[in-house]
Amino acid sequence: MSADPHTDTHGAAVDTHGHDSHGHDAHGNGCAPAGPKRPTTEELIARKAATRQEIEPGADLMTISIGPQHPSTHGVYRIVLDLDGEIIVDGRPEVGNLHRGIEKLCENRTYHQIVPLTDRLDYIASFAMNHGFCEAAEKLMGLEVPDRGRYIRTIAHELARLSNHILWLGIHVMDLGTQTFFCICFRDREYILDLWEMLCGARLTHSFARIGGVAKDLPDGFEYRCRKVMEFLPKRVAEYERIVKNNRIYYKRAKGVGVFTAEDCYAWRVTGPPLRSAGIARDLRKDEPYAAYGEVDFDVAVEYNADVYDRFLVRMKEIRESCKIILQCLDQMPDGDFISKDAGHVLPRKSEVMRQSGAMIQDFNQVFRGPQAPKGEVYRAIEVPKGEMGVYIRSEGGGKPARVRFTTPSFYHGQALPALAKGEMIADMVAIFASIDVVLGDCDR
Amino acid sequence: MSALMDAITAAFGARILETGDFRGDLTISVAPEAWLEVLTFCRDNEATKFDMLDCLLGDHLPERAAAPFALVAQLVSHTYGHRLRVKTALTEGQAVPSVTSLWPSANFDEREAWEMYGIGFTGHPNLIRLLTTEDFEGFPMRKDFPLEGTVGGRVRTDLRGKI
Amino acid sequence: MNDAIAQLIFLIIKAALMSILVVTLVAFIIYFERKFAGFFQGRVGPTYLGPAGAFQSFGDIFKLLSKEDIIPAEADKRVFKLAPYVMFIPAFLVMAVLPFGPVGGTPNLFGYRFDYVIANFDSGLVLLLAMGGIAVYGVVLAGWSSNNKFSLLGGLRAGAQMISYELAMGFAVVGVMVMAGSMNMVKIVEGQSGNFWDWYWAPQLVGGIIFFIASLAELNRTPFDLAEAEQELVAGYLTEYSGMRWGLFMFAEYVNLVVVSGIVSTLYFGGWHAPFTVLDFIPGPVWLLIKIMIMVFIYMWVRWTIFRYRYNQLMSMGWKVLLPLSIANLAVTAIVIAIVG
Repeated sequence: MSADPHTDTHGAAVDTHGHDSHGHDAHGNGCAPAGPKRPTTEELIARKAATRQEIEPGADLMTISIGPQHPSTHGVYRIVLDLDGEIIVDGRPEVGNLHRGIEKLCENRTYHQIVPLTDRLDYIASFAMNHGFCEAAEKLMGLEVPDRGRYIRTIAHELARLSNHILWLGIHVMDLGTQTFFCICFRDREYILDLWEMLCGARLTHSFARIGGVAKDLPDGFEYRCRKVMEFLPKRVAEYERIVKNNRIYYKRAKGVGVFTAEDCYAWRVTGPPLRSAGIARDLRKDEPYAAYGEVDFDVAVEYNADVYDRFLVRMKEIRESCKIILQCLDQMPDGDFISKDAGHVLPRKSEVMRQSGAMIQDFNQVFRGPQAPKGEVYRAIEVPKGEMGVYIRSEGGGKPARVRFTTPSFYHGQALPALAKGEMIADMVAIFASIDVVLGDCDR
Repeated sequence: MSALMDAITAAFGARILETGDFRGDLTISVAPEAWLEVLTFCRDNEATKFDMLDCLLGDHLPERAAAPFALVAQLVSHTYGHRLRVKTALTEGQAVPSVTSLWPSANFDEREAWEMYGIGFTGHPNLIRLLTTEDFEGFPMRKDFPLEGTVGGRVRTDLRGKI
Repeated sequence: MNDAIAQLIFLIIKAALMSILVVTLVAFIIYFERKFAGFFQGRVGPTYLGPAGAFQSFGDIFKLLSKEDIIPAEADKRVFKLAPYVMFIPAFLVMAVLPFGPVGGTPNLFGYRFDYVIANFDSGLVLLLAMGGIAVYGVVLAGWSSNNKFSLLGGLRAGAQMISYELAMGFAVVGVMVMAGSMNMVKIVEGQSGNFWDWYWAPQLVGGIIFFIASLAELNRTPFDLAEAEQELVAGYLTEYSGMRWGLFMFAEYVNLVVVSGIVSTLYFGGWHAPFTVLDFIPGPVWLLIKIMIMVFIYMWVRWTIFRYRYNQLMSMGWKVLLPLSIANLAVTAIVIAIVG
């Protein structure tokens, strides 16, 4: 099945019923809405106006600096808030405390050497970042990834998504005041990290993707353990939902808080789960398929109320879908190479380097000169756990890029926080900030 | 896809300096004077409808002596699902109008381009340093900026909000 | 030796014993809380100091004592130093009115009458509410004097919270007062003599639940730990405190926990009475301690399980739900008492 991104418009996806029970056809095709009543954009705007409190002009404001060492700014994000009592009148975000100049470094590294740098962007889901860069570099070089490589990438990407979403849930819930659930989430994330450890030996910064494929084949016993975990995780999600979704205090804290309509999302480039919670079935895995996403069957998680609660629901659905995708990939796993044989752009296998002269020459070339990319510029966007991540590469030919830009979701999500939290209270700001899922390594680059 | 290019070329004609299609990425180049106008058109026109600015970045091409700086906007439309890259070439110290009025998300992007390359933006609401420290000197992403060394680094509260 | 002197000596002994009891109890309750938290969260909690880490709290006390005492330069120093005690002392005082066993009656110790209560006076309940009200001043003063905006917000929240919850709490307690016909804690416990179904929790179920919820707010524990909500206000009123001053606040918080558990046990669960009259051979203090520990466990359970309310939700719950309910509870109780006698 090929998912053509242009057969159905995204605007129409708002009006059609597109979740659960409809297979992969998330855009729906005229079936009657059976789900809960869906608010229109006007209703959402009205709801937003209702929850946010009006500030009379000339009020005596208190300026308070939240972050960079504040417990709930998830790293070194800083926001200077103007408060009227506890109500947020305005905010000025400040980022850059974790700026490491990765883009500058990229200009002085070969394409292969950039892959480990991308780990340090979103260190919660580092494979997604590796993947994004490799997709862009392959687009630039016109490389084809072998089937097995694409499937392994899909599995790895979904593992990254799982670990990101489970961690997100723990932190989000902790920001709303319960610490026990955080530990439950960490316990379950450990299963994913164990899989990562099997897959590439690392638990946090994977550097697992390579230009042209992945670093290693699936290890022995991975499939068995992965299946076990994937069959077990949906049960865990059901448990999370029992604990969190049906919790009255969570409902009160999250429902109707931080409403951000689809138009707001576009204006502030808020993508990923926050956009999907606003009723837009926008998912680059479906709309611009890469890796093996075009060949597996999954739903795009969509919710319609555009608030913190629906962002939680979207992510829970996505965990379930990720498990489905991984199981399907394991079922359909083709044989063959996991990395392309293209000698001009791809690192050879280490086992061959010391045995075959051709591989040795290839290794020498790739390590010292880098993959020879053509002159040109490409932009490739993929769906990472936090939103849409784009990589812009301009090449002047040769082994090093002339300009790399990582368009990371957290950069824009962090920027949009004042718009999201204006008129809400400090406690809501914390919930909203967690709900848009910002990691500062991703933001500051 | 050609419908998109047709619409843009029909509207601007010779003011589109260059069009490109590399690996399926559609690109147009415009003069800095047409920057805001083209982007406004791209956002508002029915045939283009680019409702989201995916990213906006600066670039430095020292080999292009006449106009060594570039500004690249990557647009995406959720209505049609198409993408477009709009580029402009700038000389040292040349400023372009800010597009924060079109897409508020351009705010950080423009601040970053300004601090990293020294590309000016007129009409930007808050053009101060974003990622580097307040007392940082120079434009770190320019090609002639050294990779190693120490510039700035002390947090100077007296400069907060002024740079 | 006449009776008055004997009572004075007993009083001193009882006060000393009570202080020692509360202090050691608190040390172990902190340990239990950490162990329970570990249990709830799939961790082990403290393990190093003493058997299974039981002396961890004492180690912490020595650590806190040896830490530097930092007072912010712009803080109101006198108030800053005073605040921990304002919170600490009222918590202790309430223990004076809690009866641990039978009061009055025949001489039972060396020919003298030994009362299992430090202060047996008629307005015990009022003292309880008053001390609860004063303890909040500790939080407010700490928040004000720290010269920190987070502290200030924490102090303001604590003040607002106190106003919304003391009322509901007071009305809930009046229900018990009507049942017992007295404000004397001793009389309240005597009114509950018998088996566990004779205790006030059954007729005062609504009042008891209101009191429990309000006491969560009084204790500044989740879901109402807004004054020190670490994810929102860093540490609220505690932000600028360090070393033993911070330790005093923590200590006061746990003393409050013991005290409130004792009050709940006394008002609604029969105080020192055994759950069945056949178990009366076990002395009263044992029963009261058992009940206190069960209540403490319930408070910990709540704390480590549920989410935190938002500030305005807490206020609206206090004013719109708990207060009307507690007044209705009081009215119904009064009418029933008036009819039944």
